Amino acid sequence: MLSGIDYVVVIAYLVGIMALGLYFARFVRSADDFFLSGRSLPFWAIGMSIVVSDIGAMDFVAVSGQAYRYGIAVGNFDWLGSVPAMLLAAFVFVPYFWKAGLYTIPEYLGRRYNDGVRTVASLTWIVFFAFDLGVIFWATGVMLETLMGWPVWLSILLTVVVVGLYTYFGGLIADVMTDVVQMIIMFVGGAAVVFLGLHHVGGWDGLVEKITALGQGYENHFKLIQPTDTKTPYPWTGILFGLTFVMANAYMIGNQAIAQRCLAARSVWDAKASMITGAFFKMFIPVLILFPGLIAVAAHPGLEDGDQAMPTLIRSLLPPGLSGLLFAAFLASLMSNVSSILTSTVTLWTKDIYERFIRKEASDRHYLVVGRCATLALLVFGVITAPVSDFFPGIYVAVQTFLSFFQGPVFSVLLLGIFWRRATAWGGFVGLVGGIATSGVLFVFQASLFTIEDPFLYVSWWSFVVGLLLTVVVSLATKPHPAERLAGLVYGWERPPTGGRCEGVTC
Amino acid sequence: MLNLDGLKGLLNFHWLAGVPLVAAQAAFLVLFVIIAMLVLSIPTVHIHEGLERPRWWHNLKLWAWGVLLMIFVTYCLF
Repeated sequence: MLSGIDYVVVIAYLVGIMALGLYFARFVRSADDFFLSGRSLPFWAIGMSIVVSDIGAMDFVAVSGQAYRYGIAVGNFDWLGSVPAMLLAAFVFVPYFWKAGLYTIPEYLGRRYNDGVRTVASLTWIVFFAFDLGVIFWATGVMLETLMGWPVWLSILLTVVVVGLYTYFGGLIADVMTDVVQMIIMFVGGAAVVFLGLHHVGGWDGLVEKITALGQGYENHFKLIQPTDTKTPYPWTGILFGLTFVMANAYMIGNQAIAQRCLAARSVWDAKASMITGAFFKMFIPVLILFPGLIAVAAHPGLEDGDQAMPTLIRSLLPPGLSGLLFAAFLASLMSNVSSILTSTVTLWTKDIYERFIRKEASDRHYLVVGRCATLALLVFGVITAPVSDFFPGIYVAVQTFLSFFQGPVFSVLLLGIFWRRATAWGGFVGLVGGIATSGVLFVFQASLFTIEDPFLYVSWWSFVVGLLLTVVVSLATKPHPAERLAGLVYGWERPPTGGRCEGVTC
Repeated sequence: MLNLDGLKGLLNFHWLAGVPLVAAQAAFLVLFVIIAMLVLSIPTVHIHEGLERPRWWHNLKLWAWGVLLMIFVTYCLF
């Protein structure tokens, strides 16, 4: 529960972040400024923004809870689930996306395949983000009420006002620049818990000693690689195939909320460097959100619910002032999450749907107004749908599971689109839709098909494989794209071939 | 008639159950080494693309190697 000094910290944070966001609104004069910051962002700001956009306030509780139950294996999601994918993105995908002058990732799919693929991918992301917003509002509001005694609606309305104002006026640049400060607050708040917690249990050696002494059930708590027959949701096969090869790449490359930041870089070098900077900061995220779970095992073994690990530590460790800082860190994660959803969804809506199907040749000013109106509409939708979550206890997990449905198929068409010149429009469309349908079937029959708990890693791998196979088979059976259409969209094909060296797309 | 056990074995990677955990850990380390080699093979002209006056610290290969070293050590230790 918060004391007087905690309230001072939280209010100072809220006022400061809103002022900062509104300051950057002065740089927004066109739709390009609003959606892509006029392509002016430096690598360090984008790198920090990518990291903080990816971490929600819920992760502090959920990941530390998973760490309490299963140990550091959950850290795979930030280490293996980020670093290789971010390097692949930095050196292969991002330069092509940036040089193509894209606004959205579905726009690449549209140019590489056709409007059908673009629209399916874009609508899927819009629907996901729109419903995710309400779910995040409610889940985080409930969590903050439990942890800090802060009323649910107060958290939601504060977030809506602060984030809504600076995103409405400042667009992506306000989103990214506030993220820089949000990340610093998140790191300081998270590090304070870890530092005090480690001190409490006798340092790293004390932590290892105490957990090892608990005996059976805790012998794998310090192992990242778990056997295939593990009872945890993280067998090494799922981590390698589902997470490293598919989900991580799909998330870091195909997710509009991540990729849009790189597209706004001031140079192609900054675009690449931003991803590597993000990978560097990602290496520290497990320390902040996973270690509290391990510390709780040592300090408070035998909790019935692992998700009580973080709340228990907060109650037992944090002095006045630091509670406020941690609360500010939670709010920072929530606000960053919400602002990245807003900016990416309104860009998808305006560029892939509105500009494409509703009004094609409008003025720049018109699209800026549409983007801002969409921001408001999305916020209102999020607030209205937030309490619905209260009637569906499993909806947070369900919405996150929905994400794993289409990540594999989207990545399969992106991968073949950039590396295989022979991939065709029909191939991409059938691969995408067939892959998503496969995810749905595997999810429905998961109890009879899979042996591990919550097999989303396997679902994303197999839907990726099906998407890949369908794209290949249908592409081979359909007419290839003309070579000139592929220039700048396929790896190693910067310009149309000349001099008869290569006559068609199949060479 | 669909062989459900065979399908389950395939979907759940039971065909890799015999791989020792040490070998699995080594596979992840090898993956990092392969990525490091691939990064090394990128032509320098692509690394400095977009810079007017490149300096040595602009070399993104060094940045990538630094991050890969961090993750390699992490997976060696745990």
